[in-house]
Amino acid sequence: MEGAGVQKGILKGIIKFTAILGAGFVLLAVLNRVLPMATEDGYRFFPVIGSRDWIWIVAQLHLNFAAFVLGVPIFAVTMEFIGWRNKDERLDRIAYDFTKLFTLAYTVTAVMGSMFLVSLPILYPKFTDYMMKILGPTWWLYLVVMYGEVLVCYYYFYSWQKMKDRKGFHVTLGILLNVLGAMLLLITSAWVGFMTTPAGVNAEGGLVSRWAAIHTHMWIPLFLHRFVANIVFGAGIAAAYAAFRFITAKTDEEKAYYDWMGYTSAIISIGVSLLLPGVGYLLGVEIYSFNEQMGIQLMGGFFAWLWVMQAILIGAILFFINYYLWISLHKMPGAERYFKYVKFLFIILLISYAVWLTPHDVALSLEEARRTGTYHPALGKLGVMAAKNTAVILSYLATFLSFAIFRMSNKEPVVSWAKQGHTARAVIIVVSALGVLLLGIYSYVVPAAVRVKVLSPIQFGLFFVGLIALYVLDNYMYKGARIIGEPRWGKMPERSQYALIAITVTFTWLMGMLGYMRAGARQYWHVYGVMMNTSPDNYLPTHGKASVIITIVTLLFLFLVALVFWSIMKLEKVVEERRKG
Amino acid sequence: MKKGVLKLAIIVIGLNLIFVYIGMEFLPQSESRPPKVIKVEAGISQDDLISVGEEIVFGKGQCMVCHVVKPEAGMRAPAMSSIGAEMEREAKERGIPVEDHVFEALVNPSKYIVKGFEDMMSPVQTPPTSLTDGEIIAVAAYLQSKGGKVTVSYPGSVPVLKAQIAKAGGK
Repeated sequence: MEGAGVQKGILKGIIKFTAILGAGFVLLAVLNRVLPMATEDGYRFFPVIGSRDWIWIVAQLHLNFAAFVLGVPIFAVTMEFIGWRNKDERLDRIAYDFTKLFTLAYTVTAVMGSMFLVSLPILYPKFTDYMMKILGPTWWLYLVVMYGEVLVCYYYFYSWQKMKDRKGFHVTLGILLNVLGAMLLLITSAWVGFMTTPAGVNAEGGLVSRWAAIHTHMWIPLFLHRFVANIVFGAGIAAAYAAFRFITAKTDEEKAYYDWMGYTSAIISIGVSLLLPGVGYLLGVEIYSFNEQMGIQLMGGFFAWLWVMQAILIGAILFFINYYLWISLHKMPGAERYFKYVKFLFIILLISYAVWLTPHDVALSLEEARRTGTYHPALGKLGVMAAKNTAVILSYLATFLSFAIFRMSNKEPVVSWAKQGHTARAVIIVVSALGVLLLGIYSYVVPAAVRVKVLSPIQFGLFFVGLIALYVLDNYMYKGARIIGEPRWGKMPERSQYALIAITVTFTWLMGMLGYMRAGARQYWHVYGVMMNTSPDNYLPTHGKASVIITIVTLLFLFLVALVFWSIMKLEKVVEERRKG
Repeated sequence: MKKGVLKLAIIVIGLNLIFVYIGMEFLPQSESRPPKVIKVEAGISQDDLISVGEEIVFGKGQCMVCHVVKPEAGMRAPAMSSIGAEMEREAKERGIPVEDHVFEALVNPSKYIVKGFEDMMSPVQTPPTSLTDGEIIAVAAYLQSKGGKVTVSYPGSVPVLKAQIAKAGGK
């Protein structure tokens, strides 16, 4: 791949994308002529599984790949920049490996996008026409930006080796790639924003203001939430790639490199995920301010049990990453000093997980609602936001401590105030944890508005202040520290890599579920309160059926990702053979 | 290497099976279908009107998403158990007929906010709730029945309801 000329590479990429997109448009035109007319209210039916499930699978697959190809370039260029400024070849290599991954994944993303492009207007012509009428110009803008993105992506990838001495320019290309990616995300978030929290139209659905239809309640918070989640997801896939390469590595050198890559990617993924509750909160606030009923329906109505499922999934992710970090201690000389703390961290995680999993009682029938009221008589106290927020924050705090222990485990501070520093560390942890706990208890006795708008942000704020204080203190305290021994990268049992894979699998499932919930918030509306869904699929399925579809999407996605990984390894082999030959 | 990849595939498929099993076996299995229009017959008896109202409050109207049955700490919206009596008292304080106050609370809820609560309810006659006149009057009857005197009837109260909808800026 490296041997290909830059121009040739770009041209190849553009032709490939045009061919995929062109095939989509041709297929669309042909199907429109061949297929019977849509029903009077604007629907065609997909055989066997139905239109809704088909669109669900294709859209979510496209979304997963899009998240991947928009998320990975963010930290690829960050790594490249840091590697360039610090003259660190290893960082440049990891950045290049990330770039290989997303460049190849672009093709799959385009194929999925093209399938979606054909499916939506064929199966939902009236709805598509309406969306084009309201937001049509943004679709054409999307096409232009997408071509720009493809062009810059291929230029960025193929010029990597040639621009070794012009890193400044190359990094700028990477930044441009991310700017274009962010623009794509902004445009698509506007579409979803309009469908969920519509504005700029009159009671009959006619366009009043296009800008208002773009700039809806959900637009920017959804963009921010997706932006952060894409980084988390992209880093997760990169960690899975590293784990896959570690497992299949043949030399110690390869194992060491992919062990380090897996660790770096996993820490980026989990580290950035700390921002998700914050941006999720912003998104929630906007949904509530658009329509309180939609917000509550989403948080505590039909979807209430899926939040319990979310707790199961995120709790599992935190267990996997902690398990990975605890195993990683074994490769750190001097880490034996910290083994004793692991059991306490495990207990905190376990208790927090139990609280987080406690369901908020949801009455399923009129009789049950009359009998029990809104909350479960016994478990209701643990099933509410006050307890759950506290449990979530304490889980994250425990995870951060696992990370802090790992980072410092092979070092011994040499500063004169090391003893006081250790005491300060303990004080920060205790104050932060106790503060979060007490605020959580106090949350029970205040009105909902105070709990949501004041106490929850303070809890998260306290957690972040604690985190930053610990991080800064550690950096000062361990400056010039005595190194007990270098990390033995590559000396990890294989099961540690399965933990990394498990994180990615769980996160993919979680993304599928949250995507469904976000779309399901519209209930039986294509455009909430404006355009009703009158198709036979205009209902929310059982959680069981939703789980089946999410699982199908997850497995299909991971299979395609495995194909991308395999293709990279094949290409590397070909390049290696060419070099030798 | 092959053994490692096989284990990896088992983990991927195994985890997915666990998640789908939880989704199918541990979570409640009900569908959420679009509400149907509930037909309220002209001249319906008061008891039947209250009963239809209750069905809407706990179902189609989605009122219990925010309201609670009995008062409790941190509740988002007034409790249903004594809401009829509370509304009679509020109407008296405002010096307006109870019917006006009850209908206004449903079709123009931002106009009067009960102390201690926030302006968060959406009007019930517009999408997404879209209750019909008969359905709104049935809900009003149910609310009044909670500690107050039921004064509304169908279709007798339609003009009062229409007047409140007009005041709210609707048709």
